[in-house]
Amino acid sequence: MASTTLDFRRGAASGRAAFLARQGANWVFLLPTLIFFIGWQVYPIFRVLWMSLTDYHFLRNQPAAWVGFRNYANALADPILLTGLLRAATFTALFLPGMIFVPMLLAILVDRVRQPTLAATYRLILLIPAVIPGPLIFVLWKWLYNFNIGPIDYFLVQVGIVTPQTAPQWLGDPKLTLPAIALMEVWWGLGYHTMFYLAGLAAIPKELSEAARVDGANEWRLFWHVTLPRLRPILLVLVVLRFGTAMAVIDEYLILGGFNRALPTYTWTVYMWDLAFQIGDWFQGYAAAIGWIGAAAMLVVVGGLFWVFRSRD
Amino acid sequence: MTRRQLVGRALGVGLSLPVFGGLLAACSAAALTEATEVEAATPPAQAASTRPLTPTFYQWIVDLHPSLPLVNANFQNTTPLNFQIAPVQGFGIDRFVAEARDKSSTWDVYVGMTPFVEMSALIEADVIEPWDNYIPKEILNDIIPSIRNECTVNGQLYSWPFLLDIITMGWNKGQSDQAGITDMPTTWDQLVADGKQIMTSNTAPYGVVFDAHGWRSLAPITHSISTNVYTPDLFFDFNSDPALQALDIMKQMLAVSAPNVLNTGTTDAGVNNTPDEDAFAAQQATYFVKYQNAPLRFAATWPDPSQLQLGPLPKAVGGEGATVFWTTGACLFKYGQNKDKAAEYMKSLTYNDGIWKDSISGTPTSHPGQIPPYQSYYDKWSVNQPTWWQSWVPLILDQLKVAKAIPNQKFGLSQFQIGQSEWEKYLKGEESDPKVAMRAAWDAVQAEAKKSA
Amino acid sequence: MATGELARLGVRSTAGPRRRPVPVGTIVRHVVLVAFMLVILVPLAWVLLLSIKSIPDAYRPGFWPQHFDFTHYTYALTNIPTLPRNMLNSVFVTLSTVVITTICAVLGGYALVHLRLRGRAVVLGLLVASLFFPTRVTSLIAIFETQRALGLINTTAGLILPYITLNLALSVFIMRGIFEQISHELVDAARIDGAGPWRTLLSVLLPLTRNGIVVVIIVNFVSAWGEYLLGVTLTNDQEVRTLPVVLAGAFGGMGQWAWPRIAAVYVIAIAPGLAAFALSQRWYMQGLQEGALKY
Repeated sequence: MASTTLDFRRGAASGRAAFLARQGANWVFLLPTLIFFIGWQVYPIFRVLWMSLTDYHFLRNQPAAWVGFRNYANALADPILLTGLLRAATFTALFLPGMIFVPMLLAILVDRVRQPTLAATYRLILLIPAVIPGPLIFVLWKWLYNFNIGPIDYFLVQVGIVTPQTAPQWLGDPKLTLPAIALMEVWWGLGYHTMFYLAGLAAIPKELSEAARVDGANEWRLFWHVTLPRLRPILLVLVVLRFGTAMAVIDEYLILGGFNRALPTYTWTVYMWDLAFQIGDWFQGYAAAIGWIGAAAMLVVVGGLFWVFRSRD
Repeated sequence: MTRRQLVGRALGVGLSLPVFGGLLAACSAAALTEATEVEAATPPAQAASTRPLTPTFYQWIVDLHPSLPLVNANFQNTTPLNFQIAPVQGFGIDRFVAEARDKSSTWDVYVGMTPFVEMSALIEADVIEPWDNYIPKEILNDIIPSIRNECTVNGQLYSWPFLLDIITMGWNKGQSDQAGITDMPTTWDQLVADGKQIMTSNTAPYGVVFDAHGWRSLAPITHSISTNVYTPDLFFDFNSDPALQALDIMKQMLAVSAPNVLNTGTTDAGVNNTPDEDAFAAQQATYFVKYQNAPLRFAATWPDPSQLQLGPLPKAVGGEGATVFWTTGACLFKYGQNKDKAAEYMKSLTYNDGIWKDSISGTPTSHPGQIPPYQSYYDKWSVNQPTWWQSWVPLILDQLKVAKAIPNQKFGLSQFQIGQSEWEKYLKGEESDPKVAMRAAWDAVQAEAKKSA
Repeated sequence: MATGELARLGVRSTAGPRRRPVPVGTIVRHVVLVAFMLVILVPLAWVLLLSIKSIPDAYRPGFWPQHFDFTHYTYALTNIPTLPRNMLNSVFVTLSTVVITTICAVLGGYALVHLRLRGRAVVLGLLVASLFFPTRVTSLIAIFETQRALGLINTTAGLILPYITLNLALSVFIMRGIFEQISHELVDAARIDGAGPWRTLLSVLLPLTRNGIVVVIIVNFVSAWGEYLLGVTLTNDQEVRTLPVVLAGAFGGMGQWAWPRIAAVYVIAIAPGLAAFALSQRWYMQGLQEGALKY
């Protein structure tokens, strides 16, 4: 065996038993991680898959019976699910551009700041939303968006842009709900994603941009030909990661929209939760099928994104 | 006072149970004539007790009554008690129904049932049994007759009433004075006109607010015109003239109301923390139509809460002048244990003076604003008025005399939920003919009823 | 490795005379940045202000109150019965999660980089895959079932187990990135000195990974402290629940949950995260630059 990493036992016996013992000792390091990972991430996924192939109702005492793909067939014909998937996709489309371009702009601006203390201050403040947990951000914005007592509408009325009769109902008006939540997400992501871009920008060698400037390139061409290509890997990671999380959003909808089916916050994730833990006999078999359909839809698009980006490099 | 997540659950249960509507209707109709003395029967043999008394409450009842822990502590001096709070999310009566199917019950008594909401479904699913074998005769006869009728099915008391809600009107006298309004509006036309005057005089951004849920707005407004709006099956007749008139009144009110008043609330499956509450608390609207504890609770944050006035629900000219009431009470699990202890517990809870004092005069943390269901309390107070008395109590009691409960029926609550999106089309202007909108509401409810048949 | 150094030094190749007029571009840049800073800070300032307004002022439209009222914090802690318990629950669950996850991540990251492991690629592949699969939402039903089988439904401690997995893969990757940055000579030197894998990790490598560990701690702290979905699904009683779950379900208008009081609770809820960040931000920033973002 070629020793590519480390052989810690000096003069180690080279027999099979010793190899296994060494491997065992090494795997011990991974054991805790694997226990949790397999127990609470890998196994549940497959268990849910199994559930989706049965007619399991949590509140019923009969043992779950195998039904094959019947849940999936019903789900794919379920208008609430299809609307739910569409709503999640709408939200993703609304939210991704802001999530990608605003932090990029911010990162470029911060990157150019010359005074170190000022730059450090900017970075610090930008990171503040990133260290506030998500659900607490949603609660904050639920209050900010409040029609009667929230400051946003108060400000708009004071400034005279709207009247108390025409003030926007951010979370109540179905047309405004998803954009409002997307706006909140962008606010939340300002810090974390800007740091991503800053790391990427810092990796661009200064000589490259200096050379381009000397050659007479203006800011825009510099950005397009030097900066952007270097940022592409980061863009890819961000887009794919955020796309995934945007399609599977649930906390935001539960906190900001509740279980009102007329609101666009009732997406496939909320529907799944509703069916599994609230409605009727808790038909978890069906809810599981919905969960897998949503996950599959996501994986298809993520795979597609990878494919699109991959062929360029 | 309804904080109903079970709203959705009641719908779910309704869909999964067979309908005995006609039979139930006949029984309920018969029950309305029952009010005579009942002999205390010998309680049947109970399941042997293997645990302390285990009541389950809704969190909001506990939040509203800071004296509740005292009641429990007192009770525990003599009887072991395992007080539990019903889980807020994902609980509902489905759990009860599922347990009853297995002929078991984790809890003994459930405090938080409203007759027109869950009671019919719980009876049908054989989850609960009547209190008649356990409730002392004097208490049974002490319950105010209309409340007793509400809680009675087939001549038996299925709900031990605890909290009473009546739809009335509250208003901000500081604002109405400022706008030059001298009298309390007594008709709907007057209310709308006063609301308009509030807005044109720039006293407040909105004139009137109300809770858009049907059982808190459409039903009481209809009752103020006529209470004869229920079909023989005890469905609310959306197509009736009084209902159509009520819908029109709602549309006029909407014109002088906050634009977001039709939005769902932000907590408890949208049933609570509704926009009307925020508006009234922020003094953005002067007149407030809802159950009596709403204006009481939400005026507490005003700079001067004494500006709040309560009054009877306006009536339609020439109308009956009724309103809607309901009680929230306790039901006895058929497969639970400790049934006589449960009755003792309910007695100690509902006859606790501290609870009613907190409720009527308010505490720093809450102002439930609910009044006792027992005649003896009012007799006592009329002779000997307590120091913490509030003048709105007799007013609410008077309203009880003209109020009518929504009939008990499996779709008692859910019919309003199902129909809301339909009648709101007329309110929002999406449908110009109210008859069409109401017919659509009716059809939707009937379709659901057929599905579960 | 020191990727931020150049930017920090503010190196400019085109030197010019000292008193040059500030270019318009720079002014615009700072105006835009300051605008964004305000956008971030104003909502937080609003909540803070709300928590010290008198109750009537909180319901009256207007940014600045007429009367201040600083009693809401003590009021919330003494009068909302479950609140101290909720806070304790949050602290307990978060600390446990952070400690356990950090240990797992350090051990796992180290093993994946510096130890011989057959099947290492499989583990890595699984971890990567889990980042892209919506495990959290889809597996929720089965996690509920697992917890129920273990008797952990409606228990505070039971939350710890699924919380650990929330960021486990990410934490392992962060530590892996950090460990990869450590020069192999150091490790070889330790081996020559006769140190076993444990000693190498603990005495030689661990001190060098401090910044990475800080990143892992903060990431897990933030996600465990504010977790909502698992809390709302796996627990029912108010006494068992954590702070964010109770906060999200609270009214904004009723009695003990009146706006200023709920705002006070909110400030208490976000304070630990902000404090932890403020104290460790230098290490956190360095950790981000060193390798935490390189996975």
